[in-house]
Amino acid sequence: MASAKFKSMKHKKQVQSVSLTIITLTVSLVIIVPLLIVIFGSFKNTAEAQQFGMSLPSVWHFENYIHVLDKGNILQALKNSTIITAAVTFIVIAAGSLSAFVVSRKTTEYTAFVYYLFLLGMVSPIQIVTTYALLKLLNLSGTYLGVIFVETALQMPWTMFTLSGFIHNIPRELDEAAFIDGASPGRMFFFIIFPLLKPIIATAVVTTAMGAWNEFMVPLYFFNSSSKWTMPLTVYNFFGQYSSDWNYVFADLVLTALPITVLYLCCQKYVVAGATAGAVKG
Amino acid sequence: MNKKKFYPNYFTYPAVILFIIFYCMPIIAGFALSFTNWHIKRLYTPDFIGLKNFIKLFKDAYFILALKNTVLFAVLTTIGIVVIGLLLALLLNCAVKAKAFFRTIFYLPAVLSLIVIGIMFKAVFKMDGGILNQILTSLGLTALTKDWLGNPDTAMYCVIFVQIWKWSGFAMAIYLAGLQGISEDFYEAATTDGASAWQKFKNITVPLLAPAFTVVITMNIIGGFKVFEQVYVMTNGGPGFATQVLNTYIYNEFSKGSLGRSSAMSLILFAMISVIAVIVNKFLKSREVQM
Repeated sequence: MASAKFKSMKHKKQVQSVSLTIITLTVSLVIIVPLLIVIFGSFKNTAEAQQFGMSLPSVWHFENYIHVLDKGNILQALKNSTIITAAVTFIVIAAGSLSAFVVSRKTTEYTAFVYYLFLLGMVSPIQIVTTYALLKLLNLSGTYLGVIFVETALQMPWTMFTLSGFIHNIPRELDEAAFIDGASPGRMFFFIIFPLLKPIIATAVVTTAMGAWNEFMVPLYFFNSSSKWTMPLTVYNFFGQYSSDWNYVFADLVLTALPITVLYLCCQKYVVAGATAGAVKG
Repeated sequence: MNKKKFYPNYFTYPAVILFIIFYCMPIIAGFALSFTNWHIKRLYTPDFIGLKNFIKLFKDAYFILALKNTVLFAVLTTIGIVVIGLLLALLLNCAVKAKAFFRTIFYLPAVLSLIVIGIMFKAVFKMDGGILNQILTSLGLTALTKDWLGNPDTAMYCVIFVQIWKWSGFAMAIYLAGLQGISEDFYEAATTDGASAWQKFKNITVPLLAPAFTVVITMNIIGGFKVFEQVYVMTNGGPGFATQVLNTYIYNEFSKGSLGRSSAMSLILFAMISVIAVIVNKFLKSREVQM
């Protein structure tokens, strides 16, 4: 009797689990369907792609991608995006971790000032017009370096807070031991503290790189020459020119989204940790 | 131990100097130049004109519309993301199969570029053969089909939908982290006391998720006020001015060369975001403490 009851409970649980899974699957279609239409459409001919169907291509037109690579200025954009993303990520991580270390280790008027300064950056939007004038004034207008510096400043606050939250939990005794051994502050930071930051650095690298890769507003305002355009700008421009050839537009979308999607799928743990790192600190 | 020498201030200088030059100085300069007739043709010789930019802006019906649209966008997207993100988290926290797969899918939009998403949704909301109209037609709802982005009554809601589509999975991840921190003991005790599922949700889950709510609400309100890309790509503020938001209007004025006016709008946006962020955060934090 008891076992029969147990069995029926188990059965009920299974039914519940299956129905919940079906609900979740249905909800996920809102995300999956448009993405699949884009991916399948990128291999169709123009007429078929325009129907925006869920079907597989009747003939696979791999040459769409060659056409887009040829006409879409993709390789140049890929190079530009890589240069900017790599530089921004490197500067943000290097400068951000050094600064986070000092801010989380001592409390003086100066570190309090630094803390509030970056807090401002977490909230306020970038003043794009005056930044434009500033770059003109510094002769950095339309250069990689100008865009790199602006994006670095934009990304610094989040990295600073995430890293200092993490460093807070590393015991100070380690610093003291190094100090007694006569290590310089730089040596101590790079050889003792920095290696301990690996997981959070991975999170910060992935988050910063994604932000820099997807950034649209900064290059839009500050690059007037298409030779410096990044991937999102190029795909936007391509869409303007080929808006009726959806197969090419879709292929360009796939190429633009591919690097970031691969990075996400490989480093999902660190990406999601980036989302929740801010949440823990609030 | 000598803290001064061991944690030297100069470690912070690269970050601080970069941040002050490329972030803070433009804010201060923007504040000053909002009160001038600064123009692309007078890049280095702006004249002081007092509050004229602001007075003109508040008399400009289009600016007021952009302001209203921005607030509408921020409020509706935040509500949508807070609720849908929570529902997704609760679904995945149940006995759902293939959890990791669904988590990956739900979070995916958060990493995609808004430009890619915006162009993709132009295909969804298109008049002729658009995906949404196809679905409606196949459900026998042909009467509801329309040019979603070309219609001033629906364009704004399409742009709002895209923001919710992009960020709900991100909110879900934050809620999931919060849910993992809630001990099973609370629920077991409540079950013994005969609490219903709704009572458990209302009296245990929601209060203990308060910090997650604070983060999700604050982030999305701020993000909502800063909206630019999807509007720029999907409607460019149109049809007419129906979806114009502050950041797209700022860009328009910038393109025309009216830098002073553009800075004045940026300053208003800056002030609004700062005030709202502080108030929302204080309010939500005080609720966390009470609970």
